[in-house]
Amino acid sequence: MFMDSEPRFEDITCGLESTARAPGAMITETREAIALARRFNEAVVRPYALELDRHMQEDPNYLPWDFVKEANRWGLYTLFIPKIFGGKGVNLPALSYFLEELASACTAMSNLVGVHYLGVATLTASWNIRLMNRLMRDTAEGERTGNPCLISLAITEPGAGTDVEDVELVSRAKVSCQAEKVDGGYVVNGSKIFISNGHLSTWHALICYEDLERPHETTVMLAVKTGDKGFSFGRQENKMGQKGCPASELIFEDCFVPDENVCFDRYYIERFTRASRKNKRSVEDYTMQVIDYVLSASRAGVAAFGAGVARGAYEEALEFAQETEVEGKLLINHEWAQCLLAEMYTNVSLSRLSYSETNYANGLYGMFKVLQWKPFFYYLKYVPSSIIDRFIAPLLDMDFVTWLFRKLYFDWQKDEEYQRTSGWASLAKFTSTDYGVRNSQLALEMMGRAGMRHDGRAEKHLRDSKLLQIYEGTNQLNRQNLFKCLIGRTIPAARMFEE
Amino acid sequence: MKTTVSDELKMLEEMAGDFAAKELLEDREENDKYPFGPLFEGVLTKAHDVGFFSIMLPEEMGGAADAVNAVCLVLDEVCRADASLGGIIFTNARAQEMVARAGEVEVLKKIAANAAGYAGLLIAFPSFNNPGEIENVAMVERSKDKYILSGDIEYVVLGGIADSALLPAKVKGEEGYSLFLVNLKGDGLDIGEPVLSLGLHSCPAVDMSLSDVEGKLVGQEGKGGDYFEAAVDRLSVAAAAMAAGVIKGSFVEALDYTKERVQGGREIVNWSEVRMLLSSMAVKGKVADILVDRASRSVDCGEPGWQLDSRAAALHVQEMAADATTDGIQLLGGNGYMKDYGQEKRFRDAKQIQALMGLTPMRKLKYIKRIVDGELPW
Repeated sequence: MFMDSEPRFEDITCGLESTARAPGAMITETREAIALARRFNEAVVRPYALELDRHMQEDPNYLPWDFVKEANRWGLYTLFIPKIFGGKGVNLPALSYFLEELASACTAMSNLVGVHYLGVATLTASWNIRLMNRLMRDTAEGERTGNPCLISLAITEPGAGTDVEDVELVSRAKVSCQAEKVDGGYVVNGSKIFISNGHLSTWHALICYEDLERPHETTVMLAVKTGDKGFSFGRQENKMGQKGCPASELIFEDCFVPDENVCFDRYYIERFTRASRKNKRSVEDYTMQVIDYVLSASRAGVAAFGAGVARGAYEEALEFAQETEVEGKLLINHEWAQCLLAEMYTNVSLSRLSYSETNYANGLYGMFKVLQWKPFFYYLKYVPSSIIDRFIAPLLDMDFVTWLFRKLYFDWQKDEEYQRTSGWASLAKFTSTDYGVRNSQLALEMMGRAGMRHDGRAEKHLRDSKLLQIYEGTNQLNRQNLFKCLIGRTIPAARMFEE
Repeated sequence: MKTTVSDELKMLEEMAGDFAAKELLEDREENDKYPFGPLFEGVLTKAHDVGFFSIMLPEEMGGAADAVNAVCLVLDEVCRADASLGGIIFTNARAQEMVARAGEVEVLKKIAANAAGYAGLLIAFPSFNNPGEIENVAMVERSKDKYILSGDIEYVVLGGIADSALLPAKVKGEEGYSLFLVNLKGDGLDIGEPVLSLGLHSCPAVDMSLSDVEGKLVGQEGKGGDYFEAAVDRLSVAAAAMAAGVIKGSFVEALDYTKERVQGGREIVNWSEVRMLLSSMAVKGKVADILVDRASRSVDCGEPGWQLDSRAAALHVQEMAADATTDGIQLLGGNGYMKDYGQEKRFRDAKQIQALMGLTPMRKLKYIKRIVDGELPW
């Protein structure tokens, strides 16, 4: 009974619980992923980061295809895709460490890799196994042929930013991207903005609404392909930072999307829930669950960007302090500078701890659950891809498999489980990104003039960091989500978005 | 500002406000493209015509009576719209002030009398570094009655615009550095391309190399550090005024936006967390306003402790601006991060303004040292 009082035992021991259950081989995999990221940083990111950022300031419409092709050549776009879907199957928590490494050198480039996995996560959250298999194998094929096949998430609209992050808010939102149900699929009209990697992606997980007056009950997720009739790119935003990663406008004019490319919609959910004997959840609830699956994974990724940029700023300041004399003495030997560096180191470490804990929660209760189940993990790890492709892949096309995964992930996930992952993800997201901005500010204060110069590297971190407090839900919305998931859930009088 | 006392200053303040509205606002985004777009030379000419570069000069050369208060009023108004012009006004004022502190008012008069346009009047200066902290000075050799300068100096603000520069240099082996006026149109100078920087894009800095360039000694040999600190005493509050203007500009744009933008079914200004952010910005703007006004008048009147008034104002308001402009972007969400709005520029400019006059932590240490050494804290 004491264990049910707040904070709940399970809320504060995700790491402990996970350590006992997780496959030990994850450690080796993570070490190898970090090593690969560091090699990639040395070979590709660091030599090109400033040049790309400068180039984008001169020509905001440039698209960094060279980088994407290089990342594709290094195999980064399939590295974290499960082997059953044609990828290399490195465990998903390792993705966060990987992104931290890249972001410490360049947050824009870390986005050019990481946002693809946001698309993957979105697709995954629908648990439409057939479609997941098809799109992710396209990415694998793109790697083989040298034609990058990235996946993006298209959700933000001109009139709805924060609103699309929560079902409660979207019910009052002015959304405009409509999917009309027609024979054999949907017809989409409207536009999406601020879509990271939009121009560079082949597939787009598009969130739209069947009834614009009731978006919370009629959310539709579609897979749309670049080149589809009625789908085009609009402007590319001119951002302050993260300039190497395009934020795109996507325009849909009578764009037909066939049934086979529907990730999920209310008709499926209605059929699915009718079949469920213990049906407690509404279409809205399922929609929020899908959003929470995505955000619990993606916000850990953004937290990793935050940890990375905080670390990048710290590393620039540390280097400066080692080579600069202030009043005749190396800066590194001024007591105040040592304390400032200690604070910056701490900010990085706390950021990392927060995304790690979120990933532990995701492994126990969220998206990574099945993949980290030891028998499944080791089966996928040690059985050769050729066998998997031959014997398992064909099963993924069966309706039964999608049904099974949805049963497992939708119905068997308890409310408190997705609250825990979602609450932790929000905590990690705003904590790490606030530290990212903070460390960038501190670095510039320590470096003074040297920090102002583009060629001094540090100012870029400040410009890059600020976006992290905004996308994937503003940090204000994330604080509210934490309240909703970890505080307000047990307080009967607590209401959300109703002041 | 809150209490602009004299009619003359009131008029100056209004004029600066009109200037900002007419000349700076509309083309702000375009002007900020520098060095990838043209420099706003038309604005500089007009700013010169209305006397923004002469405020610190002797009164007979167009300077103001309460010069520090006056320059603060102008900087506050200008920086609400575009702090780049503020950076130019500030850097030039700093250079002029150092020449004046060195007792060389006649030199300033001569420059002003001979200046045909803004380039002739402006004096470039490495205004983001304190050579007494991080030594970045040229070497000087005495040759008969001439001083010959050689070496590299980084980040000379206005170095690509002004006809002359005030540069620190020292004789090898000697303590302390001296200040020299250098003709930037003369021989022996290798002036680099504008340095791409975080903020204040249209207030560009350049790296330069000098080889056997004649400089005119300003004041006494080895006293450069004294003139530098004396000018910091007087004009720290002007940096605070720049930061104050940026906070005010950011707040107004945020308030306007939050009244229009609808999320969760209502204008976002009606959500209490949004109001908390707005309130925090408004308080910072208010505190900055009172502080700059009071400190700048303290400087002009020479009130006891005016030096620390000025320095404290700078340290505090510069820091507030860096924080307030973060919220200024946040309140506009994704739009705040884009160049279509003014907030991202203010965020960058605020952090750049904080770097004026040397490392912030060292300025804090210098501040407390004076109190430890006996100056009164209030």
